[in-house]
Amino acid sequence: MKGEKLRNLSFFLSPMIIMVGLFYLIPLIFTIYISFTKMRNWNIERYLTEVVGLYNYQRLFHMFQHDPLMRTVLLTTVVFVGITLIINVFGGLLLALGTFFVNESSASTIRLLWLLPRMSPIAVYSLVWYYFFHGSDIGTLNSILMKLGVLSQPIPWGQIVPWGAWSVIIFVNGLVGVSFGMIVFTSALNQIPKELVIAARVDGASAWQISRRILIPMMKWHFLYVLTWQFLSLLTTYPHLFLLVQWDLVSRDYGTTLALYVYNTAFGRGEQDQGLAAAAAVLLSIIGILGGFVTLKVLQFEKMIHEPRGDIE
Amino acid sequence: MKGKVGVLLAMVVLFGVIASGCIGSQETSETKTTSAELTGDFVKDVLAIGKALESNGVNEVKFSAWGSGDPNSVMRVYGIVEAARRINKVWEENGVNVKITITDTHYVASFQDAYQEYLSKQPLGQAGDFFVNSYAFLPTLADEGYILDITEYANAYKNVIDDFYSSLIEASKFKGKLYGLPQDTEARPLYIRKDVAAKIGFNLEGIEEKVKNGEFTWGDVSYWAKKAKESGVEWGLIHRKGSAHPDLIQFIFAFGGKLYDEDSGKLVVDVPAIYKWLYVEWKFVQDGLLPKDIMSWDWAKQIHPAIVEGRTLFDIGGTWYWTEWQTKEYYGKEGTPRPLKPEEVQAWFAYTLFPAGEKGLKPVTLSQPFIWMINSKAGQQNPKYDELEDLYHKLAFLMVIKASDPDINAIHSVISAHLPVRKEAAKLISDEKWLNDLKNLNLDLDPQVKTNIKDIVATTVHPINAKFLADVSYMLEYTKLAPAHPKYPALADIFKEAVDKVLRGEMTPEEGVNYIIQKVNADPELAQNVEIVGEIPKDWKFP
Repeated sequence: MKGEKLRNLSFFLSPMIIMVGLFYLIPLIFTIYISFTKMRNWNIERYLTEVVGLYNYQRLFHMFQHDPLMRTVLLTTVVFVGITLIINVFGGLLLALGTFFVNESSASTIRLLWLLPRMSPIAVYSLVWYYFFHGSDIGTLNSILMKLGVLSQPIPWGQIVPWGAWSVIIFVNGLVGVSFGMIVFTSALNQIPKELVIAARVDGASAWQISRRILIPMMKWHFLYVLTWQFLSLLTTYPHLFLLVQWDLVSRDYGTTLALYVYNTAFGRGEQDQGLAAAAAVLLSIIGILGGFVTLKVLQFEKMIHEPRGDIE
Repeated sequence: MKGKVGVLLAMVVLFGVIASGCIGSQETSETKTTSAELTGDFVKDVLAIGKALESNGVNEVKFSAWGSGDPNSVMRVYGIVEAARRINKVWEENGVNVKITITDTHYVASFQDAYQEYLSKQPLGQAGDFFVNSYAFLPTLADEGYILDITEYANAYKNVIDDFYSSLIEASKFKGKLYGLPQDTEARPLYIRKDVAAKIGFNLEGIEEKVKNGEFTWGDVSYWAKKAKESGVEWGLIHRKGSAHPDLIQFIFAFGGKLYDEDSGKLVVDVPAIYKWLYVEWKFVQDGLLPKDIMSWDWAKQIHPAIVEGRTLFDIGGTWYWTEWQTKEYYGKEGTPRPLKPEEVQAWFAYTLFPAGEKGLKPVTLSQPFIWMINSKAGQQNPKYDELEDLYHKLAFLMVIKASDPDINAIHSVISAHLPVRKEAAKLISDEKWLNDLKNLNLDLDPQVKTNIKDIVATTVHPINAKFLADVSYMLEYTKLAPAHPKYPALADIFKEAVDKVLRGEMTPEEGVNYIIQKVNADPELAQNVEIVGEIPKDWKFP
């Protein structure tokens, strides 16, 4: 009987196990291995077997100790991930709830508008914000504020450190991420039986009371999913940041997160130090695993997957 | 019987010897057809390679050319297309049934992006066979074995090599070996607005000579920049941004400093010179002569319009600006932005070397030669690559030799305002008849090349532009090169960060220097490759 159960389990789980192994586990193991080599400039033939032990980690920690940029990178990562995560999750939730209470055609239009940042090519979307936040009078924001007489001199928004730079990168990435939560929460809301909402309405409950007492508690799973997913996404995202820093819109110091640091080290200009980048990527993975674990603990994931106790003791 | 056996054995042995001789001679003949010795006689070498390829059943050789740069520098790839046509012509005229086809002319704007793409694709065998890029990347590519060592091939073509400016050939070497041929170079003049100068009584007569002999220094630049500002001009000085465009390191050389120690092979952080550089820039910002946020200015909407519209007296630019201003719509004073006319550029701009930092020192300029490099896997998309590798590599080398023909080099120089790398090309630029032929595209060129340069030729080929190139050629005698060291880009990034912080007022010049030292020491690998020399000078005054 046990053997049959195992066979069935293996049959149904094998595609997922193969996928996880192929696309998650093997790259992770490979990254860990590269972090112990002198790999650089894509020269696999020459460096892949040149094992240097903990050299890359020692170098990385030396830089954390002595390079002011590295400490800034860590701080920027914490602030960027923390605040953008809150905006992404709660912004998505608010939009989903907001559109839940309006008529369907308006709701669809609003949702479509919020999907635009996600649909736009990264370079085009970043370019829009580059010109919007540009620190001179060619910047749209500065130009408007100067025409309104609010400003007499343009403000270099992204170069005011740290909060100016952080605000720009959080704003730009926040807008992209909100739509993800919005879609998940909207589909969750559509699964909730309408009778519950109608009954609450009949009892005189307000939209806020319906949201707080009925809708949100029934979306715990989705909340957990969006939170964990967005946390890991934000920890590893870099394309928008790369462009904004590359174009000198935001301060390099306070616009660089650990993910962007890994990218620049591995594939930046000049010498491309993939061994050192792999060591930093391993660190990033550890932070991701720990962060994901803490999120699941805090939101009591285990309790949520407990088998129901049933009504009879 | 014994005798018969003996005769039979002797015959077998004899047959064996003859047979092995035959086989041996066959091997020798195959060896001959899979390689060719370069003699230095171009036509003879091309024919030898063509015939060898033909005898191996190869009738088409495919190559791809990768280049990058400003929109006017497309000859960096079309030079290869033209070289292929010229070699095909030789083969055709001599009955050799082989043809070179350029399958891909990959041209992108950013040379850093092109380098990154090459670096990532070369190990996979997907990079271009010819690669034009900055000499600054040559050491890394050579060290990793990604480009071909052409030292031996070049020995046969000494007559051609000797026609290149020797400093540029040196820039194409790594550890004494030649890894490419110079494609172009440039100088970075200090442009002075003639109209602004006239307005403030700044007499530009003989300014070139005064800069050359060190009489006019950065103290004078500051003096006149202040005058311009007082007269109502928006800025005294505008310069370029970023670390990829290493213009600002000219200050280090102008203050007598150095960036590289030949003896130790290490990069140098020359503290006194760097301090003076940062101090001068900081002072310019403090006096309101230079925008404090220049390092984040937009090229097309701020930097170039400020210069062409006369909103600054001085500009640290490059020779290629001269034609860039004539092809890009930067001038917006009359409403819709438009390019400048050659006459306007000539009337509005004077140009000199980058002045000496202070009296007693020398003026400089900075060049960043572009080099034609050959992929170490060149020709791999062709049949029997393993067997005929030597032929493909030598053919690729001959194509680069042909692409360096004086006329091809001169065309590139005129239409992109880069300086010629060969003396013969420099002569052509001063030839009025040849310029006229170029203007009318009345030259023997591949139709594909003509089509692709037609518009650029129409706007840039002008006696004024040719005169400009001839006028600035002397600057190459004063030129300095950024160190061709694998770790230099990392150091250049640190310089850029420090300058930006000092300009924005986040750091004093002294703090800027200490920041550079701290950043260098923070990375043990960089620290091993950099020497920090000297101390911040005390009681130094500017201007």
